[in-house]
Amino acid sequence: MQEFFQLVVSGVATGGIFASLALALVLIYNAMGLVNFAQGEMAMFATFLAYSLVGTGMSFWIAFPVTLVLAFVGGIAVQRIVIKPVERAPVLTLVIITLGLATLINGLAGFIWSYVPRSFPSPFSADTVGIGGVFISYRDLGVIAVSGLVLLVVYLLLQRTTVGLTMRAAAHHPEASRLLGVHVSWMLALGWGLASAVGAVSGMMVAPILLLEPNMMQSIIIYAFAAAVLGGIESPLGAVIGGLIVGVTVNLAGTYIPNAGDLELAFGLGIIILVLILKPNGLFGRAAIRRV
Amino acid sequence: MSALLELENVHAGYGPTSVLHGVSLEVPEGGVVSLLGANGAGKTTTLRAITGGVRWTGDIRFAGRSLRRRATEDIVSQGIAHVPEGRGICTELTVDENLRLGSHLRRDKAEVRKDYDRVFEYFPVLKERRKLSASTLSGGEQQMLALARALLMRPRLMLLDEPSLGLAPLVVRSIFEIIRTINETSRVAVLLVEQNARIALQLSSVAYVLEVGRVAVQGAASELQDNESVRRSYLGY
Repeated sequence: MQEFFQLVVSGVATGGIFASLALALVLIYNAMGLVNFAQGEMAMFATFLAYSLVGTGMSFWIAFPVTLVLAFVGGIAVQRIVIKPVERAPVLTLVIITLGLATLINGLAGFIWSYVPRSFPSPFSADTVGIGGVFISYRDLGVIAVSGLVLLVVYLLLQRTTVGLTMRAAAHHPEASRLLGVHVSWMLALGWGLASAVGAVSGMMVAPILLLEPNMMQSIIIYAFAAAVLGGIESPLGAVIGGLIVGVTVNLAGTYIPNAGDLELAFGLGIIILVLILKPNGLFGRAAIRRV
Repeated sequence: MSALLELENVHAGYGPTSVLHGVSLEVPEGGVVSLLGANGAGKTTTLRAITGGVRWTGDIRFAGRSLRRRATEDIVSQGIAHVPEGRGICTELTVDENLRLGSHLRRDKAEVRKDYDRVFEYFPVLKERRKLSASTLSGGEQQMLALARALLMRPRLMLLDEPSLGLAPLVVRSIFEIIRTINETSRVAVLLVEQNARIALQLSSVAYVLEVGRVAVQGAASELQDNESVRRSYLGY
């Protein structure tokens, strides 16, 4: 039973990482009905930037916010330069473009930093703390705290600020928002910036666990897709809860199902398929019904 | 005196389909003007041209300045509130959030607060439902929300696209009463697109009747109302 709770806690930590990336996916999906397949690679690139910053002797806790700002600006730049010119293209075109973008960023990172895995410093100690007989590592607690904080900040930004309000309006009702003076195109860019920064958090949290290399996020993005689909791809709250469920489930399955280590990724994809068959709108998604 | 809004020989359309073939009209400062006509005559397209939702040629001037090549966002921030066909309510948001979208560009906080009070005086039901999702409102209430939101932009001109659409006659009457009050107390000019010609003519001083993208008849509302042949051939009552 003690092992079970330990697995749950570390599953919540992994889930927080999935949730951050899933939230990034949801932010862009909401803004333009598009799944951004480059989200993971953008996060990976930002993590390399953080790695380089730390390499110059900068402390992690300074490199972290600096990276978030760089990722934010980078996300806006990607939207302005790559996405905006094809904004009105069919969704399939956009999907192919994000796939191309993923390949491009992956290659660029390989070109700059090479494909040799590097260890990324964890800002948290590897020690454990006993809480009621359950031993939890400070790393897991740290990841939970950071992801939790980021998700809270995003929530407050979207729900409690005027910018957040106009972003939500622009995402769901672009035509009506324009008539109210909302600069819809810039709101989309802001959404990309925000998504990019939130994704960067997941990259920086997962890098100490997985080792940093250009393909690092390719498994994480599958879990993030699973989390986003499970929560209902339109729901930020759903993405977070989906992320936690996927994190805990994968962690438990990896331990309790013999030889499941090889199947973990298949597990993530299995969740996507199951959800799409049984409950296509996810846990928190709305059915696509419109009042006429 | 020049008009608040002037359209001069406006041609507009969607891609290869042209809808307006040279529409000219004027809305005086503080006046109420109706734009009438059958389905497909180009009433909605005229409004969309004014706020930059469709490409046009000719000229459209607001307060003496041309709106050519201006983005929708800039046009509406000049003081034009456009309540579109279907009301443009953000059903994902709450009633309050919809209202805040109306006032989000304004910096005169004290005046905004006064406008909220006024709006809730006109539409007490919105105050009761502030926290609820806008999707829970009835059609009439959504129309009230759209009007309230437009008022909070503190416009000089309101473009109203079929405010009566889909509403019960009693609700239509009360909504038009409020439009009249708004016009009289705040001197907001109104360009009103309506299928319901009878009620539109009662409210407005001048009316234009569109037929296949052209102004077929124009004149004082009272004259159009009394002119038997105009009524029968264009207004259908």
